[in-house]
Amino acid sequence: MSNTYLRARGVARRFGSQIALEPTDIDVRTGETLALIGPNGAGKSTLLAVLAGALEPSAGNVERVNGVRVGWVPQRPALYDRLTARENLELFARLEGESAHAASADQLLTRFELPSDRPAYQLSVGNRQRLNVALALLGEPRVLLLDEPTASLDPGQRRRLWATVTALRGEGGSVVFATQNLEELDLYADRVAVLQRGTVAFLGSTAEYGRLHAEEIFA
Amino acid sequence: MRRAGLILAKDLRVLARSPLLLGVLLAYPLLVAGLVGLVAGYGSSKPRVALVDQDHLPQVVSIGGHRFRIQDAIDEVSRNVHLVRMETGEARRALSTGRVVASLTVPPGFLADLKSGLNSPSLVYQTTGGGISSRVTQQLQALVYGLNRQLQKAYVETDLGYVRLILRGGRTELSGQTYDVLGLDRMQELLGRLPASPERARIAEFARIAGIALAQTGNLLASTANPIELHRAREESRSSLLSAQVQSYALALTVTFLALLLAAGAIASERDEAAIGRLRRGLVSMGQLVMAKVALAAVVALALGLAIAIVFGLIVEAGDVVGGQPWARLPLLALGLLVAGAALGALGSLLGALARETRTASLVAVLVVMPIVFVGLVPREVAPVAGWLSDGLPFAHAVRYFSSALYDGSPWGVLARELGWLTGLGLLFGGLARAATRRLLA
Repeated sequence: MSNTYLRARGVARRFGSQIALEPTDIDVRTGETLALIGPNGAGKSTLLAVLAGALEPSAGNVERVNGVRVGWVPQRPALYDRLTARENLELFARLEGESAHAASADQLLTRFELPSDRPAYQLSVGNRQRLNVALALLGEPRVLLLDEPTASLDPGQRRRLWATVTALRGEGGSVVFATQNLEELDLYADRVAVLQRGTVAFLGSTAEYGRLHAEEIFA
Repeated sequence: MRRAGLILAKDLRVLARSPLLLGVLLAYPLLVAGLVGLVAGYGSSKPRVALVDQDHLPQVVSIGGHRFRIQDAIDEVSRNVHLVRMETGEARRALSTGRVVASLTVPPGFLADLKSGLNSPSLVYQTTGGGISSRVTQQLQALVYGLNRQLQKAYVETDLGYVRLILRGGRTELSGQTYDVLGLDRMQELLGRLPASPERARIAEFARIAGIALAQTGNLLASTANPIELHRAREESRSSLLSAQVQSYALALTVTFLALLLAAGAIASERDEAAIGRLRRGLVSMGQLVMAKVALAAVVALALGLAIAIVFGLIVEAGDVVGGQPWARLPLLALGLLVAGAALGALGSLLGALARETRTASLVAVLVVMPIVFVGLVPREVAPVAGWLSDGLPFAHAVRYFSSALYDGSPWGVLARELGWLTGLGLLFGGLARAATRRLLA
């Protein structure tokens, strides 16, 4: 497990009678960027939430390398609307156990150009998403799990986000992101997992994925 | 605990930023408490009773030489019952439709029986089958008791008139004829004019003893009519509005409403804001999350409960009202507010976790508050089932705790028992809420 941060074995998730994710095996390797693609409802968000520990799997388990921190950017911003961006960052920094929580909040506010004194519900959609990403970076995670992170960001913010992601990977961290944007796949992913109806239909390098036609994968 | 404390601090900050919500949360239960007080007041107000006069009683009735005004008797009764004159059929309809809670009928021949003294006349009453019927029966019994007292007084005075006639003699009218009665006093006077003889002496001795005996008759007759009398002493207790019961209910109602609604809304909002997924990633356990919501309910219950108690105490002080120890017992009350708030917060957390969404959770909490409160208000003697149900809910225990903490001379037994109940219920609902948080993650 030395070159792996996360190892999921047989993880499955059902919501009542509905199966969101069939038993799935997947590894998140050190220093890689893994892209999850697939149609809506394929199970990408569920897999990311299970890997993040935000959702308990109905079956199977996720192993983490001891001490590895995981940052999670859910598709819908997970933050407290009546708290300001600073208060959100400080609260989650404290919960992450950061001693310099105020300094961490300051740093992220500057980095993501976020207004610090307005309640989150007054922020624009783009700013809320930036705050959502900033919250995932608290605690200096080694693995970053992003669920369609750039969907509501302007081009400048997208570039800055990917710069952050690339820097994390450069330091030996890993990134898993779900996307519908094939350009991002070509630009940033090392490996690709294609999900279809809760099942991993393809898992391989970006190069291997490029040699196949989508029709073959989704057949 | 530190992490639960951070979530608690966040919730308090959010609450402080919603003054309108806080105001409504505080005003609503106080409004409901006031309405409950008004309804309770209405419940103890005079019930409407139909008076059916089939004997056509005159305005003034003469019995035993005494004149009775019928309206005076009705006025006397109207202190407790609102008597409404009706015809027989109308009274029957009013009783069946519930417009009156009882009907009181004066049957034909009532007055004749009353005047003759040969038969005891009867009044006939019917009541509805509701819970109020026993109270109306008591009030009508009180009415008959009052009438009997007035009649007894008249009869006693009539009897005493006859006694006085026998003692002193004089003119009287009986069965339409006028008689001149000699009387014992004049009899002795006449005896004195007769020649002395053993027979005269014996008759004179009898007249003397009979006079002494009859002189005692007045007191004996009065005491036979009323062996025990009830006198109302001057009131020195609290008015009903400041009573221990009203204060305890107002506190318990406010705490129940606030704690349930706050905890239910707060835990459901974690899901609405999608923050619960972020928390669950090892930052805050679901047990800690429930603990934070329970603590939120307890802290708010303590703050607002103490504020109400202090305002109440100030009113009591300003009004120079006796009874209770509004200040010395505040620490005991504070403990009860904390524990009751926590138990109700645990129940609210359970409701919020089951409802999942803040709006649904708030609606469910509002819908649940009223039955909880009213089940707790129903006396166990009236409906034992309500007593068993309220045993399984915190409201009635909170009422008993608050009442005992504020007013009992030796409250320790009650406080220990009710604290035990509240703690047990809090742990039970908290455990269920912890299990139900799975729904928030779905």
